[in-house]
Amino acid sequence: MKCPRCVQVIHRGAGLCPHCGFGIAEMDARHGKDNVSLRRLADVAGLMKSRERSKVQGALDDFSRRFPQLFFAVYTGSGKGGGNVRQFGFWLLNRAAFEDVPVDRPNEAGILLVIDPETKSASVTWGYLLDPYLTEEDTFLCLSRAHAYWLEGRFAEGTVRTVSQLGKILAKRAAQARRDPERFERKVAPPAKTGEIARRIREGHRQVGPKTSEVTK
Amino acid sequence: MKALAWVLTAGLVVGAAEPPMPAWLDEDRKSLEKGEILPGLELLTEEVPEVPQEAADVPAPTSEEIAAAENVSPEVDEQYLNAYFGARPETFLVDPQKLLGSKDARDRESFLKYHSGDSQVDLFVYLFDGHQAIPSGVREEEVVERFFSEGKPAVVVYYYLGAPQKSDIYVSPLLSDTVSAPEQRRALISSVEEALEKPDALAQIEAFCVQLSIRIYWMERAAGLVKDEPATPVARRVKEEAPAKAESPAVLQAKAWGQRYGVPGGIMASALLIAAGGISIARHRARFRFPSFDVPPRLGGSHAAGIGAVISFGSTTQSPSSQRNDMPNYLGL
Repeated sequence: MKCPRCVQVIHRGAGLCPHCGFGIAEMDARHGKDNVSLRRLADVAGLMKSRERSKVQGALDDFSRRFPQLFFAVYTGSGKGGGNVRQFGFWLLNRAAFEDVPVDRPNEAGILLVIDPETKSASVTWGYLLDPYLTEEDTFLCLSRAHAYWLEGRFAEGTVRTVSQLGKILAKRAAQARRDPERFERKVAPPAKTGEIARRIREGHRQVGPKTSEVTK
Repeated sequence: MKALAWVLTAGLVVGAAEPPMPAWLDEDRKSLEKGEILPGLELLTEEVPEVPQEAADVPAPTSEEIAAAENVSPEVDEQYLNAYFGARPETFLVDPQKLLGSKDARDRESFLKYHSGDSQVDLFVYLFDGHQAIPSGVREEEVVERFFSEGKPAVVVYYYLGAPQKSDIYVSPLLSDTVSAPEQRRALISSVEEALEKPDALAQIEAFCVQLSIRIYWMERAAGLVKDEPATPVARRVKEEAPAKAESPAVLQAKAWGQRYGVPGGIMASALLIAAGGISIARHRARFRFPSFDVPPRLGGSHAAGIGAVISFGSTTQSPSSQRNDMPNYLGL
């Protein structure tokens, strides 16, 4: 778990980044705090042709079919208020209201790919449901699959590759979670309190003997 | 009736009486001696002297006599009519009157049988005497239509022994559509001409049958009953089979292995294919679900705070890893 601005590790449940003080309020001040109405494929920058958009839309539909809890969204463009693509993705996934996503799939189950043609960069942001199952390395692997296409300006093909690769990773994680769900639960479980840790240590080292009353008898 | 017989007898007697021989007149004899006339000179000139004809003392023929004189050919006796026209003949030569001798009839019948075995169209010959006529009550076409509508197509000929030119030809309804009447007529004329070249009646009917059998072959072709196949065998080049090459031991071993394990191997391969197909379909239909855990919100984001990688695609010369927009973890957590 990292801060979108300073990219330093933050603890679970941090209201603000303990390192740089970043929070969504800062992004709301830049982009607005109202919800933004979007569709899953929002080619705001106009990087894709009509036929290419249908291909990407098909890939997104296929992803939703395979993962009944999740959805994948794609946004091309940069926020009006500036800032890097990582922060913008964080803000957008929290403020977006996707019109073509069923209500039983909240943004917690969403994955957002932001492609910024101005800075020529792309990022991936995901909701809390996927916190135990996705890592930064996973998303880098997915973006690497699309890198060659995006260099040539073939944004639709690169996006389809990204969606496909992420589907493979998530399918594997889903199978692992079915076999060993506690492994993933530990990743997001709240940290144990310090006193509790000390008590467990003491109980583990001290032998439990008979009570005094039983001994006198 | 008696009166009619008397009239006919009288007519025959009068007709049989010879005219008187010419006699020389004295004047003509003298002129001949003088050389004034030449005997036979009248025959060389166009002027025909009028010879006064004496009125014959014969009564004029009645209309009944004229009608009777036209029916010179006696009709086929009634006793044979049923044998001729009562049913479809069982033999190809129909001769209830025994006009042909037994040997000749057998020869003609054997020829017609041979024709039937070699042809798609049978040939039936109804034999009558040369001076006979088929009774007017019998309609030949109707006979053919009635008895030859079913079964093998046939050509029916009413042949008059010694008078082949009187012959008639008919074809069964199966052939009448494809073999035109002029074609039938030409076949008959050709056969009659062949027959008339022969001196006697037996040779005539033989030649007639042979020629008509030949013409029936052309009728078969016109009717599409035979295909254009060469009548004589044609020499064809036989494909020479390449000599079997000696197979290598590896091939022989593979064949032996295939004979031994082919069936179970095929079954196993089929099972594997089915399993692979099933797995593929199962994967396609697979749905992946994740256990949901309570995650406390971070950084004020109510829905999401999962920060993934950022990659730049600005340089075509650098690898994706080198263009990864990563920040060092200063705290080392």
